[in-house]
Amino acid sequence: MKRVLAVHDVVKVFEEGSQRVEVLRGVSLDVRAGEVVALEGPSGSGKTTLLSIMGCILTPSSGRVEVDGEVMGGDPDRLRRVRRRSIGFVFQQYNLFPALTALENVEYALSVKGVRRGAREQASRVLEQVGLGDRLHFLPRDLSGGQKQRVAIARALAGSPPAILADEPTANLDTTAGRQVLRLFRDLARQEGKGLLIVTHDPGVREVADRVVGIRDGRLVDGAESAEMAGRAGRGRREAVVS
Amino acid sequence: MVSLARRNLLHDRLRFLITLAGVAFAVTLVLVQVGLFMGLLDKATVTIQHASADIWVTSKETPNVDFAHNFPETTVLRVRGVPGVARADNLIIQFMNIQLPSGAEEGCLVYALEDFGAWNLPWNVQGADVRDLRRGRYLLMDRSAERRFGPFAVGDYREILGRRFKIIGTTAGAASFTTAPIVFMDYGNAQELSDVIRNRTSYVLVKVAAGADPQAVAAAIRRVAPYNDVYTRDEWARRSRSYWIVSTGLGMNMGVTVFLGILVGIVVVAQTLYTSAVEHVKEFGTVKAIGGSNWDIYRILGEQALIAAVVGFAVGGLMSWAIRPLMARLYLNVLVSPSFALAVFAGTVLMCLGAAMLSFRRVAGIDPALVFRT
Repeated sequence: MKRVLAVHDVVKVFEEGSQRVEVLRGVSLDVRAGEVVALEGPSGSGKTTLLSIMGCILTPSSGRVEVDGEVMGGDPDRLRRVRRRSIGFVFQQYNLFPALTALENVEYALSVKGVRRGAREQASRVLEQVGLGDRLHFLPRDLSGGQKQRVAIARALAGSPPAILADEPTANLDTTAGRQVLRLFRDLARQEGKGLLIVTHDPGVREVADRVVGIRDGRLVDGAESAEMAGRAGRGRREAVVS
Repeated sequence: MVSLARRNLLHDRLRFLITLAGVAFAVTLVLVQVGLFMGLLDKATVTIQHASADIWVTSKETPNVDFAHNFPETTVLRVRGVPGVARADNLIIQFMNIQLPSGAEEGCLVYALEDFGAWNLPWNVQGADVRDLRRGRYLLMDRSAERRFGPFAVGDYREILGRRFKIIGTTAGAASFTTAPIVFMDYGNAQELSDVIRNRTSYVLVKVAAGADPQAVAAAIRRVAPYNDVYTRDEWARRSRSYWIVSTGLGMNMGVTVFLGILVGIVVVAQTLYTSAVEHVKEFGTVKAIGGSNWDIYRILGEQALIAAVVGFAVGGLMSWAIRPLMARLYLNVLVSPSFALAVFAGTVLMCLGAAMLSFRRVAGIDPALVFRT
């Protein structure tokens, strides 16, 4: 399968005054078309930084980033173009535009991506695809958490990018809604051939993931260690649900 | 095409109303204040604009049409002999005291000509023919005098400098910047009232012959009347206006008012747009994360500023329009020309866009990575 996202030996260092923090230390990872990759790790392990670099929002201090076969440089305009064309984002807090309806949220994203003609029809189509055909004209405040996240997924799908990056997409959802969202992700990979990278603490993601990758202290860790981390995270989540 | 700018504005209705109130206040302040000023300035030159004189000959250094100084009336004879002059007549403009029925005395501004009809003075005459002024001690009084002199009617008598005059008609629209009401009487009658103007005149009004260049004729008159000043109609109107604008400090006062109006508008719009930008910072981060540029965000803020400008101008314009009848009752004219309204509109747009610049600076630095922070 074609690689839609890849990083090779990526290092990211943040410097603030005399402080120098190495957040990523030589990370290599790829995501192929039709594949769901789960990225797990404790807070501060570098997973969001890795997601930002793979999403062309941050540039690495060193190493190589490839999106849809194209090697990225540091030119902000080019990175922005690639984000528009090749990457969809799903955020933990949904980040919908509260003044716009579900349909308009997707339509606006299309307009940012440069799609003007037929944007409304396309937006309507992707919302139907995520099961919100009957909620097109609802404002985010009138939608449940699961529905909001599905609008966010529809927005990520707008423009048909080959890769979707999701940051803790189920963290604010109850178990049922979370499961529906994950199933949707799996279907997108299987049926649409999207490559998905999901940053998560949710053990439920393992059920839909083709691969689980762990990260700790800025380095990818092996599967066993990753499973251990996921178990800890899963217990935490179950406890939270019970309480 | 969905407009995030418009929808966000309508979503934050209270903030939008505050923004509109700020813009509308600034627009109203500028339109009414400057309109009143223009109305006052119009009074300063209304007789110059209506009189059919192409050239005005004045005494040296006369500052404006109301504050006339007198010079020998024989000057008119030399003026009449200048090539290109079709007609020249003396005009007296003189402050005189008028006695009211209450016994009080007030000042009035007397305009005196031999043949008013030849100079289109006065205009809007009601109840009389201007030619009747020559038939006796008659006068025409402008309706605006009621405010200072109290009610009067055609047929009433008033004493000016101790001489009784019969009011044979009224005029409308003849006003002086000084607020002294204008009365019109025959030239000879006026000269009988005061030694100051006996055998003297305040102005010589000149009509140039068809095809003659007023500037060239004015230059020729200057040569035959070296102890007078000679102005074309526009020059004289400009000089009269400039006196009130510059010499009295009214221009400065107006400038300060306009500046304050604009300042209030900028502060309100900048503050509300900036607060809005700060509150929507995560949305703007999202726009950037999904591939939008700073320009996409500038466009949102710019569109909001434009909407505030257009709607605020409309509201402010309507308020100014509504104030006009109230001002008219006080004999104050709010004069807003289409070109001035257009200039205020352009200024409003610039003001709002300028105010949005503050927010531009704020959003330019938004890091799209903030969308991953909770």
